Amino acid sequence: MRIELEGVTHAFADAPVLAGIDFADDVSTLAVIGPSGGGKSTLLRIVGGLIAPTAGTVRVDGAEVPRDGEALARYRASLGFVFQDGGLFHHLTARENIALPLRAVHGLAEDRARRRADELLERFGLAAEADKRPSELSGGQRQRVAIARAVAPRPRMLLLDEPTSALDPEYTTEVLNLLRDLKDGGTRFVAVTHEMGFARHACSKVAFLCNGRLAEYGESAEVFSHPRTPELKRFLGKLLEWRV
Amino acid sequence: MRNPFVAGRDGRATPAQALASYALVCAAVIGFFWLSLAMAGIALNLDFVAQFRTRIADGLLLTLEISVASLVLSCVIGLPVAVGQGSRILPVRYLCDLYVKLIRGTPLLAQIYLFFYIVGTAWGVENRFAAGVIILSVFSGAYIAEIVRGSLSSLDSGQLEAARAVGFTRAQTLRYVVVPQLVSRTLPALTGQFASIVKDSSLLSVIAVIELTQTMQEISASTFNLFGTYLVLAALYLVLTLPIMFVSRWFERRGSYAH
Amino acid sequence: MNLSSTPVTRRALFASALTAATAAVTLVGCSDTEGAGTAAGSASASRRTLTVGMELAYPPFETKDDAGNPTGVSVSFMQDFADAYGYELKVENMGFDGLIPSLQTRKADCVMSSITITPEREEQVDFTDPYAVAQLAILANASSGIESADDLNQPGKTVAVKTGSTGDVYATKNLAQAEILRLADESACVTEVSQGRADGFLYDQLTIYRNQKANPDTTVAVFIPFQDPEYWGIAVQQGDDELREELNAFIAESRQNGEFDKLTETYLAEEKAAFDELGFRWFFDFDEQDAATGDSAAADAGEAANSEGKDA
Repeated sequence: MRIELEGVTHAFADAPVLAGIDFADDVSTLAVIGPSGGGKSTLLRIVGGLIAPTAGTVRVDGAEVPRDGEALARYRASLGFVFQDGGLFHHLTARENIALPLRAVHGLAEDRARRRADELLERFGLAAEADKRPSELSGGQRQRVAIARAVAPRPRMLLLDEPTSALDPEYTTEVLNLLRDLKDGGTRFVAVTHEMGFARHACSKVAFLCNGRLAEYGESAEVFSHPRTPELKRFLGKLLEWRV
Repeated sequence: MRNPFVAGRDGRATPAQALASYALVCAAVIGFFWLSLAMAGIALNLDFVAQFRTRIADGLLLTLEISVASLVLSCVIGLPVAVGQGSRILPVRYLCDLYVKLIRGTPLLAQIYLFFYIVGTAWGVENRFAAGVIILSVFSGAYIAEIVRGSLSSLDSGQLEAARAVGFTRAQTLRYVVVPQLVSRTLPALTGQFASIVKDSSLLSVIAVIELTQTMQEISASTFNLFGTYLVLAALYLVLTLPIMFVSRWFERRGSYAH
Repeated sequence: MNLSSTPVTRRALFASALTAATAAVTLVGCSDTEGAGTAAGSASASRRTLTVGMELAYPPFETKDDAGNPTGVSVSFMQDFADAYGYELKVENMGFDGLIPSLQTRKADCVMSSITITPEREEQVDFTDPYAVAQLAILANASSGIESADDLNQPGKTVAVKTGSTGDVYATKNLAQAEILRLADESACVTEVSQGRADGFLYDQLTIYRNQKANPDTTVAVFIPFQDPEYWGIAVQQGDDELREELNAFIAESRQNGEFDKLTETYLAEEKAAFDELGFRWFFDFDEQDAATGDSAAADAGEAANSEGKDA
């Protein structure tokens, strides 16, 4: 999927978050890394059509991202989002969380939506959890249901916003394994993440965002083994400090 | 077999346990009351119930009618007020705010007298049932507005973002996410409010709406059986409010996923 | 009355709030006994408390002064009775509905609250001899055209009464054609009439007279007697003959010695003049023959009884 950004700038209540991002590439699996407050999540939301940038243009597969109305809803529906936490609808069971958007947004008939939901829950090892509400699931189960919901309509790309940062370590692994399996099955994604191992080994490209600017971008093996900017060196150095 | 009066480690009681303990507690309360009656030297006489059963039944029915009508009307008032309190049009916001503060800050008794004899007279509200329902609805509407406002503000912004992310339109977000979550969050408190309406309707007796309380006061005035009539009065209100409170609790448990 | 108890309570509270030693509390206790002793002087130590139930919402018979203390005809009367018979008077204010139950539960020794003696009430409590007589009157809406009780007893007419009052009893029995509106509050009854929601309000002549004066444009008063006079009595607990006899004796004395004239002068001078002009029977003009005979002799007897009571 081709993503093109031109001078993308964003500010929340006059506090600048993104200061002119330029980017153009075909993306299959991309990790967005960088220090907290660097604008990673904001950029992901701008690409996904959840936030309109203060200035600049975003084009995906050659078409500009719509700003409102039905077209915007359709654009969002063509992508699959997974949030850090709370992305599942509290009042619906795991199965309904997956099946409702299939029916209401993608026009699937009730039984087909249900079959698709059950098939994904089965595949992700959640068959026993189908009738549970989010509050009855573990953190890892919740994120796996969220991923199932995101992939259910076969989107052209997944957008993952720190999908493991609210999880205990053992659940982190189960979610990352699932994402690696999806990647191996051909699913494309952009993931904002703090899991450097995942960024390095499961993503083909890495973007390093720092102080609202795109400081570095390239093949993940290259970026991690030969960081060019002092910011990235410092960032990676800090992460290694407590390594076992 | 575990101790019939101690809940399991998870805090839950089996139905048999719950029943046994509830019966025990009820017996203790009733026993205490009987003892108090005996110590105060009061002999209860409930003969009037049979004598006035038609009037009591009529009063009970009217209380129920007033309460149901008031619940419906107070929702009609309370919902827009709750939304209006967050309005960007300032006079609307402050009007809603003032309404809620005035009503919640003054006694229902004062509202009944002032509304019935001033507003009601000025605008020709002659029917006491209608006046009673309007007053009670205006009163209860303020509390419902607060309940709904509380639910609205507890709506998680993450839920709305998730709704946008899956591609819901505004209307779909409202229909599939906002309304169901609001309803499940509001229903327990709303049911509780219904129990309050039933109780509060007793104050309409001061403008001679012949509901349950007024009926019992009239009976008490002619039989001088103050204790008997008020005991039966309390029991009849409980017959109405207890089931409502159980339903409220049930809604609360059913909707507990949100917390 | 129990004026002396207030400072003691405050001091005791103050002491306990400071968690002072028990000695301090004892000290307060001691000084209290001493104070009470000197204040009461030579009076006998065993002055009994007489608790009287009243609904202090019926001026000028039972009401409160501007400071909130009980006042009125009945309060003065009971105070004079208590002084004469060696009681410590304590007035308990309560709702009209609660008056008779307060005797049944022994929370009050007697009730003097402009209560009409009726056979139904006599089944619950004992009454003294009547001390006053009253008659129902009608406060009618000015445009209702009501001129008699019969005018009210018509379909489509609405009669306001105070719940449980003798007006209520009368209307229930005799105005079956009309709709009866039972209200807890007299002023609500008056409002109903002055606003035209009700056609008439049945209550005693004095209340009707006063409320008509307060609402001269919207109401008219109908004073034509339409029922037997109502006799007001003091209610005591069933079987309490001792107190009932004392009260009966005092009522008889009061009729003789001008006590009731004094009360009329203090509380009801204007109304008395108006009633005289209208030709109505006055509350305490009860037994016209007795009232006519030698006032001075009766006054002497009354004084004798009074001093006797104080000595006892």
